[in-house]
Amino acid sequence: MTDVITAALMIVGAFFMVMAGLGVLRMPDLFLRMSASSKASTLGSGALLLAVAVHFGSVGVTTRAVATIVFLLLTTPIAAHMLGRAGYFVGVKLVETTVIDELAGQYDLRSHRLRSKQPATAPPESDQPQV
Amino acid sequence: MNTLLLNTLLALSWIALTGTFTPANLLFGFVLGYGLLAFTQRLLPPSRYFTMVPRVIAFVLLFLAELIQANLRVAFSVLSPRLDLRPAVVAIPLSVRSDPAITLLANLITLTPGTLYLDVSEDRQVMYVHTIHVHDLEQFRQGIKNGFERRVKELLE
Amino acid sequence: MNVSDLALYGILPALMLAILLTVARLLRGPSLPDRVVALDLLTTLGIGVIATYAIATGQAAFLDVAIATALISFLGTVAFAYYIERTV
Repeated sequence: MTDVITAALMIVGAFFMVMAGLGVLRMPDLFLRMSASSKASTLGSGALLLAVAVHFGSVGVTTRAVATIVFLLLTTPIAAHMLGRAGYFVGVKLVETTVIDELAGQYDLRSHRLRSKQPATAPPESDQPQV
Repeated sequence: MNTLLLNTLLALSWIALTGTFTPANLLFGFVLGYGLLAFTQRLLPPSRYFTMVPRVIAFVLLFLAELIQANLRVAFSVLSPRLDLRPAVVAIPLSVRSDPAITLLANLITLTPGTLYLDVSEDRQVMYVHTIHVHDLEQFRQGIKNGFERRVKELLE
Repeated sequence: MNVSDLALYGILPALMLAILLTVARLLRGPSLPDRVVALDLLTTLGIGVIATYAIATGQAAFLDVAIATALISFLGTVAFAYYIERTV
């Protein structure tokens, strides 16, 4: 029984890992690549680590595997956020099919702060605070 | 939080009584302790524990279902010979304000495939999210606000 | 066919394929953040390889290496992102 669960988890993990690699290679711009890599790799390595926990079935191994999964779940989004921010400052191009980019021009390139509305040159949308 | 401590204590005493220290047995001890505490709820000082635990479990299950389903969708779109993409960077007005709530929301958005959290403005009014496939911007905004944001708000604020 | 055979002959080759695809992106670039994304994915794939290898050999001690790799990869990516942002 545990062998079947282990095998299933390993196959799922390997599948999503290959999807992550394929996505990183095929996607046309930085943000799409991050989109493909960050989640598929989290799910893939999470499934593989769970397979280890099920296979060995002892407390020590399970706590270590679960700790690693939690750590990955916490850190992957942060790494993606920081890389996306850095990419935006470097001026990475978005792919031509992008529908809309509402972040364009919102970063203050000198102070590295992020505004919530267009600066004063654009017509103000409304005076009411956005809820 | 005291009830959580009590529950842990009950789980540990279950372990001590049965003498097998395995993850499955620990989990069973927790479930047993929770049942016992829920049964004797009226004798204990009032606590949010009994409303929070089902909520947290429902939240985790919803998230896992979303994660797997959406990952499969992205896998199909990666495998299709012609990439059919309509990416967009969308500004979503925020109604959660506290640091933990925003952090949890951002992590959830990044971990669900198709969407990637980019940044939050300094005044915490707007969150910028990148998405792979968008049909209707307003519908997408409402989807995030009514789905994850509402649940995060229920959980943390 | 038992689990360790599956890990050795089924899962590890699939992970190798994923690593090759990622290395192709690492070499192709075009920008520095793209390469960092590829490097980050490579370390995560490394964690998967370590986990699979632990099952294949029956040695749970390899899991400690996976934890250390996860910690270091996060720090590396954050440091890269920080310095890329400072170059502007």
